[in-house]
Amino acid sequence: MQRGRLARLAAGLAALATALGSLAIAIGPGRNTTYAGHSTLAATLSVGAGVGLILAGLVTSFFGSGGRTGDLAVLAGVVWFAPVWVGWNNGPPLVRSVGMLAAGFALPLFMHLILAAPNGRLRGAAARALVLTVYLEAGLVAVALGLVRDPFFDPNCWANCTDNVFLLRSLPGLARGIESAHRWFTVLAAIALVIVIAWRLLTDSGPARRALLPFALPAALLAGAAIAYAVVLRRTPLEDPSQPAFQSIFIVECAAVLLLAAGLVWTTVRMRLQRRAVAQITANLGQAPPPGSLRAALAHAVDDPELRVAYWLPDSQGYVDAEGRPVTEPTTGPGRMLTTLVRDGRKIAVVSHTAALPDLERAIGAAVRLALENERLQAETLAQLEQLRASRVRIVETGDAERRQLERDLHDGAQQSLLALSYDLRLARAQAQSDDDNPTASLLTEATGEAQTALSELRTLAHGIYPAILGEAGLAPAVTSLAETAAVPVEVRGMSEGRYPTAVETATYLLVAEALDDATGRDASHVIVDIFQDGEWLMVMVEDDGRDRTSELVHLADRVGALEGRLIVEPTRLRAELPCE
Amino acid sequence: MRVVVADDVMLTRQGIVHLLSSAGIEVVAEAQDAQGLLREVRLARPDVAMVDIRMPPSHTDEGLVAAQVIRDELPQVGVLVLSEYVEPAYAMRLLQEQPERVGYLLKERVFDIATVVDALRRITDGETVIDPTIVARLMSRRRRNNPIAGLSERERQVLGLIAEGMSNRAIAARLFVTERTVEAHVTQIFQKLRLPESPDQHRRVLAVLAFLRS
Repeated sequence: MQRGRLARLAAGLAALATALGSLAIAIGPGRNTTYAGHSTLAATLSVGAGVGLILAGLVTSFFGSGGRTGDLAVLAGVVWFAPVWVGWNNGPPLVRSVGMLAAGFALPLFMHLILAAPNGRLRGAAARALVLTVYLEAGLVAVALGLVRDPFFDPNCWANCTDNVFLLRSLPGLARGIESAHRWFTVLAAIALVIVIAWRLLTDSGPARRALLPFALPAALLAGAAIAYAVVLRRTPLEDPSQPAFQSIFIVECAAVLLLAAGLVWTTVRMRLQRRAVAQITANLGQAPPPGSLRAALAHAVDDPELRVAYWLPDSQGYVDAEGRPVTEPTTGPGRMLTTLVRDGRKIAVVSHTAALPDLERAIGAAVRLALENERLQAETLAQLEQLRASRVRIVETGDAERRQLERDLHDGAQQSLLALSYDLRLARAQAQSDDDNPTASLLTEATGEAQTALSELRTLAHGIYPAILGEAGLAPAVTSLAETAAVPVEVRGMSEGRYPTAVETATYLLVAEALDDATGRDASHVIVDIFQDGEWLMVMVEDDGRDRTSELVHLADRVGALEGRLIVEPTRLRAELPCE
Repeated sequence: MRVVVADDVMLTRQGIVHLLSSAGIEVVAEAQDAQGLLREVRLARPDVAMVDIRMPPSHTDEGLVAAQVIRDELPQVGVLVLSEYVEPAYAMRLLQEQPERVGYLLKERVFDIATVVDALRRITDGETVIDPTIVARLMSRRRRNNPIAGLSERERQVLGLIAEGMSNRAIAARLFVTERTVEAHVTQIFQKLRLPESPDQHRRVLAVLAFLRS
């Protein structure tokens, strides 16, 4: 790491020296054969753009997210000066020849920088293919021109008309063809660049788009300049820096490179600020932050409202949010990326965030990691609570469904059999009576009576297991029915006539039934039942004038709790609040 | 008398049909669900439809719903609902719209042919029939400052029989007293309970039932 930094520093300094050398050439021996030599403005812009890019690269390397972006920017800054070295009058032929070959790599390097912004990674197959293609083309063109282009035979040569140390065989026609094809390829590449950037601006999410904006303008300017250059050169084959058209194109290029450098620096500063904000969010969270506040703080720190934190629960092998609700495994999208956070070798969470802050992993310090682990534990507990609650609801629901089924089975089975028996007994009795067999007839009469008693008992039993009227007619008739049969006078004060979820109606019914039994057991002489709806809550109140109660009525509390309701047990009063949507 | 019988259990239905036939009542059609019942009633126009309250598909109160449809559509057809529920609420649901020519009996009385035939007769006579068990339940309800406690034993008996839907003549016959005596009792009861006396017998049943439920 340390050696890498030193090497980068050395390379940066060498690059700056190259830049200064270029300035010297431009205002001295290259006065007529470079753009920089033609005016002070051009010289200032040219050097400013190149030096700016080199400095931006160094800033990115040392303070930014690392990766290749910084090195790439330094290299692009050096290559930016290649045309100046080509135009070094009476300079070393090797330098001029190398400059000639290197100059073609400027545009590929710029495109690479722009398309890999902001985090130094090329994303998307289109961008990767485009960058690879322009590099390959630049390499092929450089090799081919190096081998066959003799500047001496080039009728349109201007910066360097003498030197090509790599020349193998002069083929002026082929060289001209290659140069012409290269120009039109450059136009296509520039258009492709604009399309990719425009596509990203359209499809990326908010934060990714904001991160891309500083590179959109340089991209457009560079592409415009490349296209304009090809068009102007077609009209005026001999390039001339003193002509306004060529000069304008050059100034646009300089502006684009300056903007690119500014964009790189801006991105680095922004990332640094965000990283610091991320590292410091725990300081603002307070002692016991409510679930989800960490996500909100992270989202705020990296300026990404869509940031999601999915906590990993190793027990259930799934993800939950801060409230413990199950969520699907996070996925990437355009301009978004995933960061898996690990603490002590264990996965804590996966964060889905904007690709504009690629090294979130590194930005999240020990304190935030601890806070995340805390929130994960909290989410785990909440998830377990939710599972417990759901299972409690299931237990109650299963019990109710079974009671209902039992009631139906009693009706369909035992009751029908008893009815059939009672029918047979009556037939037999009629037979005995017609046979004048009085003893048998009176026995059968008795048996018929017993069958009737059994039927009546069965009816009472079935009603106790599940009161059919509750399911069919609802709470009001069922509670009225309870009041009619209660062993103490019951006054039904308020009675909500509407229908409620089955579990709520059942709980209310059982609560009232139990309270009436309880009141009877405590020698009450009067019970008041009051049931009314208050917003999203069904309020149930049962009050009596009996002795103080000693039982806790735990099973009622369980049933009410399973519905996420509340039961308040007072000595002679029961109050339940049930959510009824 | 022409009767349509609806019950989803075949054994029960056949038993009813057999008993009714042996009692000289003509069963013109049978049905095993509410839709079949409505179809047969519309076709046959019987004097009374005898309907089990629990029928497919949900086995809950289909019979009661069908009974209400028949009452709306064909007021001249009487309805006798057989129910396993001792629920005054169901009986009231049946009575509320048109209390004449309806009856609500507990299912277990279905083979007590004397009771069933009596109920059918009363319904075709335009009366109301409420199962004594239901009335007993309403009468025995615990009340604070119970006004029924102020009635004599005989008055309570008469009140119960009124609630069962009986006419003064029927009550007189049941209690072996004269109709005039019953009338005197009725006046006395209505005064004590502060109920408005009405010459219409159906209104009388409704008023008493509503009083007992309040």
